[in-house]
Amino acid sequence: MDCFFACVAGVGKSCLLLQFTDKRFQPVHDLTIGVEFGARMITIDGKQVKLQIWDTAGQESFRSITRSYYRGAAGALLVYDITRRDTFNHLTTWLEDARQHSSSNMVIMLIGNKSDLESRRDVKKEEGEAFAREHGLVFMETSAKTAANVEEAFINTAKEIYQKIQEGVFDISNENNGIKIGPQHGGAGTAQAGTLAGQQGGGGCC
Amino acid sequence: MAQPSQEGRQKAEMEENEDAAITWSDETGREEGRLDEDPMNKNVGVGEGEKMVHPANTLEGDAESKIENAAMMEESGEEVQPFAEEEEEDSVVIPTRKRPEHIIPQVEIGDRMKEPLVEDGVQSKAESSGGGWGSSLGSWGMSLISSATATVSSVGHTLSHVVEKAEESLGILSPTELSAEGEETTQATVPTEEAGGPAGSEEDPVVKEEGVEVEGDEKAFSHGGAFGMLGKLGGMTASSITSIVQNTSKTVITGGLDALELIGKKTMDILAEGDPGFKRTKGLIHRTNTLSQVLREAKEKEEQRLAQQDEDSLAAPKAHYGLLFDEFQGLSHLEALEMLSHESDGNLQAVLSSLSGEDLLRVKAELDEIKSAMILEEIDVESDVVEEKDEKEQDLMNIITELLFQVHIGVTPDKLNRARQKADAWLKEVQEDSTPKEAAEGLEKEEVVKPEKKSVQDVHSLCIQSLAEVTARSIEQLHKCGELILHGADPDVSAMQRAASLTRLTVALCKELSVKSEKFASCLSTVGAQEKPEILNPLVTSVFLEASNSTMYIQDGFQLLLPILQLSHLQHSATPLAPT
Repeated sequence: MDCFFACVAGVGKSCLLLQFTDKRFQPVHDLTIGVEFGARMITIDGKQVKLQIWDTAGQESFRSITRSYYRGAAGALLVYDITRRDTFNHLTTWLEDARQHSSSNMVIMLIGNKSDLESRRDVKKEEGEAFAREHGLVFMETSAKTAANVEEAFINTAKEIYQKIQEGVFDISNENNGIKIGPQHGGAGTAQAGTLAGQQGGGGCC
Repeated sequence: MAQPSQEGRQKAEMEENEDAAITWSDETGREEGRLDEDPMNKNVGVGEGEKMVHPANTLEGDAESKIENAAMMEESGEEVQPFAEEEEEDSVVIPTRKRPEHIIPQVEIGDRMKEPLVEDGVQSKAESSGGGWGSSLGSWGMSLISSATATVSSVGHTLSHVVEKAEESLGILSPTELSAEGEETTQATVPTEEAGGPAGSEEDPVVKEEGVEVEGDEKAFSHGGAFGMLGKLGGMTASSITSIVQNTSKTVITGGLDALELIGKKTMDILAEGDPGFKRTKGLIHRTNTLSQVLREAKEKEEQRLAQQDEDSLAAPKAHYGLLFDEFQGLSHLEALEMLSHESDGNLQAVLSSLSGEDLLRVKAELDEIKSAMILEEIDVESDVVEEKDEKEQDLMNIITELLFQVHIGVTPDKLNRARQKADAWLKEVQEDSTPKEAAEGLEKEEVVKPEKKSVQDVHSLCIQSLAEVTARSIEQLHKCGELILHGADPDVSAMQRAASLTRLTVALCKELSVKSEKFASCLSTVGAQEKPEILNPLVTSVFLEASNSTMYIQDGFQLLLPILQLSHLQHSATPLAPT
């Protein structure tokens, strides 16, 4: 499965990804150019699934480029920074982008990152939940620093994609939806879930 | 009867200018040889004898000059002695040139007699030169030759059919003269077709060109005068002759194209027979569209194989390039680059379709310019790389950095360099490991060194891993370049300049890979000096194989940048843009 990460610059997508794939936290990260990749094998329903994550640049100026990549995604994680309201306000435009340039069945998860910085919180958890409800997203607050909820966020997204595959919502034969069925591993199907981790362009950085 | 080998266009010229013989400018280069040999040509003037459309002679002239260069043969000797096959045997290079046809029109024989003669000539030549090849190339050469002979004879058949047709239509006109005419027209195409054998695609445009020329001739004919034959054909009007000639030409040309197609097919078959891998490659090309798909499939196959292997025995997974390439995210970058490329291409087409008239032509010309700037010259790996390996090694990093700087998009090849340094580091380590080992071996046998020493398999997987990593990083680099170019890089640097820099960058990357692979291979041989060749050789081969694959991926990745550069060019030029 290919998942896609989408969110605003500097909200910590790359950090989230690093935490997920390498289990480490690196506070200073180079600005993401275009798209970077991460991959991890996870187990869903006893099956090995490779989650391929596309970590997109959050800067506004990269938006036209990152748009090209949505097409390949089965899921997206939309990330904002709970300490910066502007990143939250940008969510709508990113969501529109994601919906417009991808399959309508794309699983989208809303993530409020930097939950460790409770003292500087600018966006209430309830607001995030409300936004998610309104747009039919799954919501979760994470911290790339403490690794809180990071695993869960990715794995939940992957599970949801997996479920949709099982339900036959995704047309697996279609190359464009980012789901590639790997070879049978002793009877266990390997689906590659693409986590399209997109950053929202919002200018500014961490 | 003169044997001019002129084209219609030139005939037209001749009408205006009686001294046209001197104005054979554009073909002069090719024709020179002929002119020298055959002074008759110079006398060709309007109204003299029959002036036949004989474009093939130009071709022959061309082929001849090739032969001359390649085989250093005395052309004049051949002119006189067309069937001197002993000479032919020496020249392995151009098997299908058809000397006999060349001569036959000059010899005036009844046309029906000529026909079998031509074929005989062709076949006997193929056979005789076959002997020459066979001895040098072994059985493969023989089988190729025999197939070639078969092809030639079947082509001959097609041709004789064409000849008959041509004669039929011309036969209405009159006796010998005319059929000789038809014969010549036909002959004209013969060499072209035959020459098409080994390099069908190359010859193809020539045939088309020929078609144009022939038609041009007809126009010239209808003006009268130029076609000497006209005078002899009392009852016929110019136009009816023209139409007959036209039909004949068409038949001849169609027949010629058919024959070409046949040759092409045969060539494919023969290639496929000689190279079992060819079919597979061909199948691969047809089955899948994009490189990343091909790679993904290969990777998945390997995963499957590994999974099975794991069940059988818990053997350590052998280094597999495809898996590693994916692990280093090379596949993802390639895939993303493909997406970007296709998207750009789509946008490009959208912009182009919104243009018209002069704008369109201008933009197209500009885009073509970029395209031609991105043609990779033959990467001559062997020549300069081997000589100055070490200096080159140092330079390459600088070259790459500098070229990226020239692209002016603010990308540094840090990751790529790290991958390269990693490769260098272990190479050094392994080499150091194995050098003192040899010295120490005499004294203490294996005891001391054994624990640290890497096995050939280890070194081999390191090789493959490094290749995969460097390639993946190179692709990533190209991908980043693509992204940043689209992102709106410095408009001061033109797409053309970028194209040039990127081309050089790609060449540098490929060279780097070939240098690396040679180092790897020599390192492998050093480490595996004691191994049996059965074990060592396949490992070395696989290193080279994967290195050449790597080069291919990089070049493919590079090609994906073309629409991106073109699009960026449009974005920066003053051209009104369609929304992107």
